[in-house]
Amino acid sequence: MLLFRSEEHVRRWADARGIPLGGTLTPEQGWRLADAWFHDRLELDWRRRTTEEAQALFRSIGLTGPFWQLA
Amino acid sequence: MTTDAFDRDLRLAIYRTLVEDGRPPGAQELAVELEVSISHVDASLRRLADAHALVLQPGTSSIWMAAPFSAVPTPFEVSVGDRRYFANCIWDALGIPACLHEDARIDSSCPDCAEPLRLEVQDGTLREPADSVLHFAIPAARWWEDIGAT
Repeated sequence: MLLFRSEEHVRRWADARGIPLGGTLTPEQGWRLADAWFHDRLELDWRRRTTEEAQALFRSIGLTGPFWQLA
Repeated sequence: MTTDAFDRDLRLAIYRTLVEDGRPPGAQELAVELEVSISHVDASLRRLADAHALVLQPGTSSIWMAAPFSAVPTPFEVSVGDRRYFANCIWDALGIPACLHEDARIDSSCPDCAEPLRLEVQDGTLREPADSVLHFAIPAARWWEDIGAT
């Protein structure tokens, strides 16, 4: 998961490697995803999210569609 | 102590050292801190790795990733006060201020043009988001097939 200057730079980078475009997020979406995902990581009772919980979290920040499907 | 309780303590001990020193502890260090044998620590590390709570260097009991932290230098450098960390990817880089609940500066660069890119988190929000974009190359269902590449 990499940070690019713009979508145009993502396309150029993917074309040069012959790989399909994946999923893109704005920095704001990325921060919302990271905050929701990691805010409790250093707590004693942290546990890994179930697939259903993770999928619901993705949905809550607009990450829907086949690319974001966990299972 | 149950296995689950020990694994929980070990996981937190790993993060304590990562946060304080910017590096993960070794098995010997963990064994001394938790007053158990190294084989006890190794078994716990394997359970945590099997549960995807952390990633070990292949074939070893050395910690490679305890998300969002990376044990090895990466193109995602995160500064929190006078501490410096490396993250496994840009999602994890943003995850460091999220889990520490502290302000942070993230320095990376565009993989296409090598231009330096910076994101800053302040008071729990992304500060004046830079004109940049996060790209996930691998579909979510396949992230754990090769987590190093993801």
